[in-house]
Amino acid sequence: MKLNPRNLVMSALLGGRPGPRPAVGNPTSIACHGLMEKAGVFFPEAHLNAQAMAELALAGHAEIGFDTVMPEYSVVQEAAALGAQVDWGDRDQMPDVKNFPNADFSDIVIPADFLEKPSCRVVLDALSILRRQVGGRVAIIGKVMGPWTMSYHMAGTQNFLLAVGMGERDKVTKMLRQLVPVTIAFINAQFAAGADVVVLADHATRNLVGPYHYKEYLLPIHQEITAQVGGPIILHVCGNCSDRLELFAESGVDAYHFEWQVDAKEAVRRIGSRVSLAGNINNPQTLLQGTPEDVYRQARYAIEAGVHLIGPECAIPLSTPIENLKAIAEAVRSGF
Amino acid sequence: MADHLQTIRDAVIGGKHGEIKALVQKALEAGVDPGTIINDALIAAMDVVGADFGTGRIFVPEMLVSAVTMKSGLEVVKPRLAGGESRFRGTVVMATVKGDLHDIGKNLVSMMLEGAGFKVMDLGVDLSAEKLVDQVKSIRPDILGLSALLTTTMPQMQRVIGALKDQGLRDRVKVLVGGAPVDRNFAEKIGADGYGANAAEAVALARRFAAAQP
Repeated sequence: MKLNPRNLVMSALLGGRPGPRPAVGNPTSIACHGLMEKAGVFFPEAHLNAQAMAELALAGHAEIGFDTVMPEYSVVQEAAALGAQVDWGDRDQMPDVKNFPNADFSDIVIPADFLEKPSCRVVLDALSILRRQVGGRVAIIGKVMGPWTMSYHMAGTQNFLLAVGMGERDKVTKMLRQLVPVTIAFINAQFAAGADVVVLADHATRNLVGPYHYKEYLLPIHQEITAQVGGPIILHVCGNCSDRLELFAESGVDAYHFEWQVDAKEAVRRIGSRVSLAGNINNPQTLLQGTPEDVYRQARYAIEAGVHLIGPECAIPLSTPIENLKAIAEAVRSGF
Repeated sequence: MADHLQTIRDAVIGGKHGEIKALVQKALEAGVDPGTIINDALIAAMDVVGADFGTGRIFVPEMLVSAVTMKSGLEVVKPRLAGGESRFRGTVVMATVKGDLHDIGKNLVSMMLEGAGFKVMDLGVDLSAEKLVDQVKSIRPDILGLSALLTTTMPQMQRVIGALKDQGLRDRVKVLVGGAPVDRNFAEKIGADGYGANAAEAVALARRFAAAQP
């Protein structure tokens, strides 16, 4: 295996030969004020302009030393393309959905030119720019919301979960099913645009729903999605998901991006032979409030536990010190 | 009476939102004291629901349905309470901080506090420190409950506490914080008075604050 960042990441995600050191990367956003300053690119431009998006992603590799570039910082690109009103935020604020077009669980209208809507096109163009600039050398990661997360945006999270709680199975399933083609089409378009691997972010998190909800509603859908996409998938579900790790391993994904709340050793022991594990560095305490030494120690714990791709557990707070991100890269460069 | 209370408790715990109004009505007609229905049935049931949520036996969908059920029950029983608002344990202002549009946690806490006898003024989402300080000045609540779901917005809580200090209001209101990324250490670090890991803990804290008041 040629030892470059891309191959280290792909080998780690697909259960291949280990290189001389673990891979380090970010399935979700590492945009922070320090990185924006280094790149000379700021929010909200980095959500809306393909060149800006790509430049900020490149800074994650060039300035911090990660083996990946991941250009999608928000979770609302799809919702915007589906007609939700999005506030794109500012330098200090992530974008969010302002209204819920299908709060009444009416049929979701998927535009025929969905992939050409500006909020989707910008991601595809950014991936292609990255492909031209670092393709084959640095792992290019795409990101797509799954039907569960998109339902939060289209119907409103509380509204959607209330329908789940009320046992309105037909209503819930219909909405999820209508969104499955969106997820599949956007994932495949991201591979075609240049992504090496795509993150499937679907927030069936323990903070909100139980493993039985995941098993009933989402596992069959994830199996369908993974069967129909043309490349490796990292599943991202944040929160303490210790109670559903095995279900994730059945979904057909290649890797699971997980939080520190799930002990790294336990995760590796339970599902590490079936899927690769990514992430595990704590955001709110360690990356945001800790020192580089704290981060280094936690990264070393994850490495020793056998986590395959070391990185932040989720999109980082915008005020995260850049030195703390560098400490993750430093920890992997100390080898296994 | 015990049967009526048990039936109401079971209906709230089981999320039987379609049946609750009739059950509460039936209990009232049988002469069960309205206050007893609230405390020993509706609130007692939400305590069980909160505990089940804390242990991971149930999750937000079930808790939401139970909270909606409890609220429906409260609507029937409240007009029958003697003394009206004088029975409130205190006033709580609830809000999700600036930049954050997530409100399920806040809504659940609000509903449960209401059930627990607090007067709750829910200001909604995306509230700046300045706006919150203005509201604290005019409403003069006993408790200010702040929620954040995002690691990107939790620093706003500190900003609110700082603004309360600047305006000389910090000693007049207890600040309670919560939300997925928030923990006890963070709450202590920013100088909050309390942290609730879930809605049940938040209600327990609010009760404690209310009991400690002169």
